[in-house]
Amino acid sequence: MSMSFALSNIHKKFGDLYVLQGLNMNVEEHKLICILGPSGCGKTTLLNIISGVFPPDQGELLGFAGKTISYLFQETRLLRWKTVEENIDFVLKDQFTKHQRSEIIKRYVDMVGLREFKNYRPDKLSGGMKQRVAIARAFAYPADILLMDEPFKGLDLQLKTTLMQAFVDLWLMDHRSVFFVTHDIDEALLLGEEIYVLNERPGSVKGVISHRIPHNERNLDSKNMRQVEREIYQLLTVP
Amino acid sequence: MLNSTTKNSLYSVASMLALLLVWKLLALYWHQELILPSPEVTLIKMWAVVHAEKFWPAVGLTIGRGLLGFIISCVLGVVLGFIAGFSSPVYWLLQPWVTVIRTIPVMSVIILAIIWFRTDIVPIFVTFLMIFPIIYSNVLAGIKNVDQQLLEMAHMYRVKTRRIVGELYIPSILPYLLAGASNAMGITWKVIIAAEILSQPRLAIGTNLIIAKIDLETAQVFAWTVVTILISFVFESVLNSLENKFRTWG
Repeated sequence: MSMSFALSNIHKKFGDLYVLQGLNMNVEEHKLICILGPSGCGKTTLLNIISGVFPPDQGELLGFAGKTISYLFQETRLLRWKTVEENIDFVLKDQFTKHQRSEIIKRYVDMVGLREFKNYRPDKLSGGMKQRVAIARAFAYPADILLMDEPFKGLDLQLKTTLMQAFVDLWLMDHRSVFFVTHDIDEALLLGEEIYVLNERPGSVKGVISHRIPHNERNLDSKNMRQVEREIYQLLTVP
Repeated sequence: MLNSTTKNSLYSVASMLALLLVWKLLALYWHQELILPSPEVTLIKMWAVVHAEKFWPAVGLTIGRGLLGFIISCVLGVVLGFIAGFSSPVYWLLQPWVTVIRTIPVMSVIILAIIWFRTDIVPIFVTFLMIFPIIYSNVLAGIKNVDQQLLEMAHMYRVKTRRIVGELYIPSILPYLLAGASNAMGITWKVIIAAEILSQPRLAIGTNLIIAKIDLETAQVFAWTVVTILISFVFESVLNSLENKFRTWG
């Protein structure tokens, strides 16, 4: 039987404001879980609870203990004084030997197509290249879970598409458990396997959609995808 | 067309020539070497000064005192700045001291130091009191401005604290530290000469300046001043080039 993760009856408030109220999730390992909801519905708070930045006020997390976690943020969060390789090395150094590290770095730098730029510092890279480095860093880190906080937000459509493709390619290699937060329905459609739709504040789960189309067959114009999109819209518009 | 760097240095050269010209004209106008020696007389005096027996020892010791004061300030400024940056109690403990040191008049410090210390220690002590607050507050500013998102990233990826300090904090602070150091370096030479003039160590540029003044050797005062400006120029350009090298990190 495969392991699973559960969040049960999670409550969190900041001051008098409930950000999450009675949130429940139950997911299998190795799934790409998408958490879709409007801005300010507590998505980032949920990721912070999963990663242990702060505990919930109420409720329980199961299956997360002892798991290692890596992250993709909205900002690239690269060290400007380090090259592409050194930035990835920064998170690996405490985990592997020098020899292992250079193999891992080489593999992921190649995967995101930055071989020729491996010795460049961030200020010499475009925005999209920097986000690729961040993606490579997140996958190179030996984590059981990958948390993603709207890493494609604010990017132009073309860049977003190529970055999402780079992400999917890497994910298909190791199928690690991903919790991916977004407010963008297209991103949820293209990436999610289970799509959790959240209420507006206070956040709780409005409904879950299983999205079984294989990633390499996903195309926003196809009929099947339209069907899933309609389901999501229905959930979102239910009062 | 000339490129802009060449053009800019041409402007600087022209400006220096104008300075020499004004100097020369004023010297001609007064026509009294006691008040304003002409540039060429100053140059001849400088030649004599440089070839005097005690020139290099005096210059060497002044530079040595300046650098010693500067280095002590840097080391203590970095160490205490680091500790205060991470510990609020230490910050508030040091705050009144730093404020007092920062506001105390240079001359009061020099006079008190002359009462308390040996003559050749005085300039070092005074330099320290003038330079330390600059380094200290720049290091503090550097720590306060470390990118919180990078720190969060490093913590989330469980990077060891030792490496967070070495690979994240120190590179973040370096541009602030170098800006403070190059600012402090300029002040060092002014302070050191002032302190030497009053404390009069046996071998020192400041002592030579005051002797020249007592002897009414105005040209020698000019000559020693030019020597000081040259020293200051050399050290500042070294620090500036370091600062430019690391500016891209900031």
